[in-house]
Amino acid sequence: MRAKTLSDLLKKGDRIAVSNITGREASKVSEESQKYCANIIGGWALGKGGEIIQTSGGTIPVFATFEELMRLTSPEMHPNKIIIYSPPAAVYGEIKEVVDHGRESIETIFVITEHVSVEVTAKAYSLCRDAGIDIIGCNTLGMINVHDQVRVGAVGGDSYREAFPPGSVTIISNSGNMVNTIAGYLQAAGMGTAYGISTGKDTLILTPVKNLLELARQDPLTKLVVLYVEPGGLYEHEAIEVMKQTGFSKPVVVYVAGTIAEKHNISLGHAGAVVEGRFTTATAKMAEFDAYFKIKAFTTDRRYRKTSELREILQRGIRVTALHHIPKAVRLVCDTLGIPRDISSAKFLKLNPWFVNLGELARQIPHELDLAPGNIPQPYARQVKEQEQSKLGITMSRQNMRNTSHASSNDGVTPRVYGYSLMDIMSEKSFTAALILYWTGELPRDQFEEKLAEMTLIAALTNGPGTISAQGAKLSSSAGNTPNTAMIGTLATMGTTHGGNGAEAVRFLIDVFGNENIDDPYNSGLDVDVIAKKSADEFKKRKLSAKEASLEYRRIPCLGHPVFRNDPINYDPREQVIYNYIKSQGRTNVFLEFYHRLVHAIKDNGSMNKVLAVNVDAALACVWLGICWRHLREKHMTIQRAMDIPFIAFALGRAAGGAGEYLDHNDFGTDMDMRIPARDCRVLSKPRTL
Amino acid sequence: MTIRMTELTFLEQFAPRYGIPVPRHIEGTAKRSELKRALEEWGGRALVKPDVLAGRRGKAGAIAQVDNVQDAIRQIKRISGTEISGHMPRSAYLVEKVPAAFEMFSAITYNSSFLQPSFSVSLEGGVDIEDVPDDKKVTMPVDIFRGLDAYQAGELIEKLGCEKKLISELSRALVSFWDLFVSTGMLSAEINPWRITPKGKIYACDFKATVDDSNYKSKVPGLEFPDYPENISAFEEEMAAWNSSSHQGQAHVSELGGSKILPILFGGGASTIITETLEIAGGDPMFLSDFGGNPPYERMLGTARICFDHKLKDAKLLLILGGKANNTFIDVTFQAIADALLAYIDEHGPIDIPVVVGRGGPRLVKGLLALKQALEYLNLPYVIFGPDSPVTLVAEYAAKLVNAIPENKEVFS
Repeated sequence: MRAKTLSDLLKKGDRIAVSNITGREASKVSEESQKYCANIIGGWALGKGGEIIQTSGGTIPVFATFEELMRLTSPEMHPNKIIIYSPPAAVYGEIKEVVDHGRESIETIFVITEHVSVEVTAKAYSLCRDAGIDIIGCNTLGMINVHDQVRVGAVGGDSYREAFPPGSVTIISNSGNMVNTIAGYLQAAGMGTAYGISTGKDTLILTPVKNLLELARQDPLTKLVVLYVEPGGLYEHEAIEVMKQTGFSKPVVVYVAGTIAEKHNISLGHAGAVVEGRFTTATAKMAEFDAYFKIKAFTTDRRYRKTSELREILQRGIRVTALHHIPKAVRLVCDTLGIPRDISSAKFLKLNPWFVNLGELARQIPHELDLAPGNIPQPYARQVKEQEQSKLGITMSRQNMRNTSHASSNDGVTPRVYGYSLMDIMSEKSFTAALILYWTGELPRDQFEEKLAEMTLIAALTNGPGTISAQGAKLSSSAGNTPNTAMIGTLATMGTTHGGNGAEAVRFLIDVFGNENIDDPYNSGLDVDVIAKKSADEFKKRKLSAKEASLEYRRIPCLGHPVFRNDPINYDPREQVIYNYIKSQGRTNVFLEFYHRLVHAIKDNGSMNKVLAVNVDAALACVWLGICWRHLREKHMTIQRAMDIPFIAFALGRAAGGAGEYLDHNDFGTDMDMRIPARDCRVLSKPRTL
Repeated sequence: MTIRMTELTFLEQFAPRYGIPVPRHIEGTAKRSELKRALEEWGGRALVKPDVLAGRRGKAGAIAQVDNVQDAIRQIKRISGTEISGHMPRSAYLVEKVPAAFEMFSAITYNSSFLQPSFSVSLEGGVDIEDVPDDKKVTMPVDIFRGLDAYQAGELIEKLGCEKKLISELSRALVSFWDLFVSTGMLSAEINPWRITPKGKIYACDFKATVDDSNYKSKVPGLEFPDYPENISAFEEEMAAWNSSSHQGQAHVSELGGSKILPILFGGGASTIITETLEIAGGDPMFLSDFGGNPPYERMLGTARICFDHKLKDAKLLLILGGKANNTFIDVTFQAIADALLAYIDEHGPIDIPVVVGRGGPRLVKGLLALKQALEYLNLPYVIFGPDSPVTLVAEYAAKLVNAIPENKEVFS
């Protein structure tokens, strides 16, 4: 090998380049790694040259090829380590490219890619061996040098600091995941990690354990090695032969997995694919290790007396039969050989249930199995609290939605909306009911809900030709545009101030009512006057302190209207229709009622000199929040969706209104009639010469 | 994944293509007159062999020598219906019996010591190579780029004491064997024995190989690997098809014959350890599973659905367990499992088994809470652990819990 000690494989100051860096896995892991150790100097991906990946640890430039990366990067910044994330079919080409153009500077290549053919793996090894480059993998998870706080690949996931306190144990594992798991277990022995290395688990392991043990032997930080071994290959057989010959000086604690493969005659899909005789099975590997150590596998029942004989034995090491025996075995080795603990406060391995609800079953099982919830450690406890505190809404899991939809489907026979046949909806439901289904995922609860939703759509249609959204359609029509463009003109003139204020109202209402225990907004049982007065007083305080500081203050959304504003008590007539309809049905919408009390409360506390109109946007927000509320309570809907829906309802109604304006203007208007003559335009600047 | 290849496929598709001399053969489904004529042309002696994936030489006595067509037909019927080491043959076939002055062993495989292909040869063929003394066999690495040439092969067999007059022809045959190996993406291949007749003619008289499914050469049009009647359950078959339908995320299962715990396990290493722990602790897992590799939502949903459709009605406990993931998003995978569980119960009606969960990794809390919410909605008893509880202890707990559930527990009403 080129490396002489473990730090030669990875250390602080290494410059890493990543193949296929814009890929799903590579970009995610690179971003996390850059945050941790900022050791990635660039990456390459065909067709992506010139892109930049922004991370909180700095930017990563993307080149089209490795050759371009080398050519456009200054020599002192040339990479010395490579991570291959390319698809299996591209791995050989990538390694060849790296060897061809990076032979001078590259020391190690880590191949993360899975499912690389054995032939390509052998070719990669041959190329790298001839070029004097070390290669780890394929199918490695990567490596971490804990003392230098650097890693390649995803070892440690996104919680490397927590999983890997610095220490004196080096973990060498066929399984990447086990590197992390064992690092966690070691903390129970009061030990930290020096290096964690995932060897990969394909048929050919290109940096075998015998080489890694030799590097560990040379490493001054490593006092003890933990090996995780799976069936397949002669790797351990050869490592033991080398250890016997060299008198390997550091103790090794080994766990061999995979007896299940022999018992059930199944392949584990790892290196066991090619069986090369009698030393390759899990049972054979166990026997070889036990023979080398000259002691039976560690058991918790046995009392180990710290004799000179035991010291001599444990100098070589011991095998464990259960993974959770590793801490005890490591403690035994350390105590017997006088290896000091790395960590003063060891965490003991035990079951710590986070959430328990065994219900009736708890009474029927032995007491010791009826576990009580334990303490959730940080930072998880904080996250749990944050997520559970919110009584409303849910944060959805994200996924690639390119060809995926919950909302609609078409199996070639039946188009569907949230599972319901579109033809059935057409035959049996109203347009409004269909919209409620499409927007919320459920049909309206009753006729009352459906009627209210329909009223909001009608209310949104128009407020006369002077509204900027109607003007948008008329301007577009005047320019000779088509109907859809005119409707876009209407939509384009909407924003958070015009049309979108309903979304702000929903946010405001959720802030006010989110912690109230409301199951049904039409039957809340709340004293709305008290809540309105409290909100009004908060508003007054906010307004006064902002005024004192000569600052703009945050207004309550959906109060007042540029047209309906001149009376001591003002109303938006469209909102009144909705409010009065609710009353006529003997119902009360707690949100709209709150709004009505609020406008009086802010007049009464002196914040306003008149009673503002509760505008139609507020009515839309209150009606649609009423529809969404049960979905929010049941955590089937995001708050963002509940905020978006009133805006969408307004936009839909008003876009239809814009279409009406287009039709009218198109029939009767003259071309360019919306243009304002130059003489009517005011000039606020003076002519200047260049 | 590997594909296994038998002698019949070799005889029919590969030996002619690579110019490897083989004895004549005829399929057992041939007409009586054709079988009779073949026997006559071959000098009246032939072997009936099963086309079966069972490994060891001699195929546990399922090879019969015949010298007349009646016996041949009887043996073809018997052998094609005889289970060999748990495998049923696809068919039986008749192959010419070649007289031998001596036999030779040869094998090519990727070698974990050389990290290259290796070529092994012995002039004591016809027996298991492990039984041949070390000084009677020789293994050498083969440069993956340069391949095996006739001089290397010749030197090797000469070293073993091969007669000089045979070296040229044997070497050429061995190079053809290498060409076959490297051109079809094989992982390992064995011709054992080569039979060398008293007249010095060479025949490859038995063959077995494994082919690397990840190697594009295994998918060359015109090369066909037949399907064999395998002892594979409908569950394994459906999961294997689902796994091969996408490279995103793994979906491996192997039936273990257990009847208690339905294990949805993540991570190759962790899943092996957990399953071994379950077996030792009496958890009687139904199958071995490995569902890591950061599957997207729809992949995990499909995987969980297949598990539930095949196994949930018989399970006594559902175990969802893995180590601390590096890449796999826990919220995505757990939301998918929760949705699959909800869909199953929606379709098949309520179940009443405890659910034990343990996991760590990115976006963990969101994932655990999503699953918890679904379990509460379904009124299923549960215990959920985080990454601070060792997976093997969680597996032990699940095994103890499933064995503590009273037999006459009231069913869900």
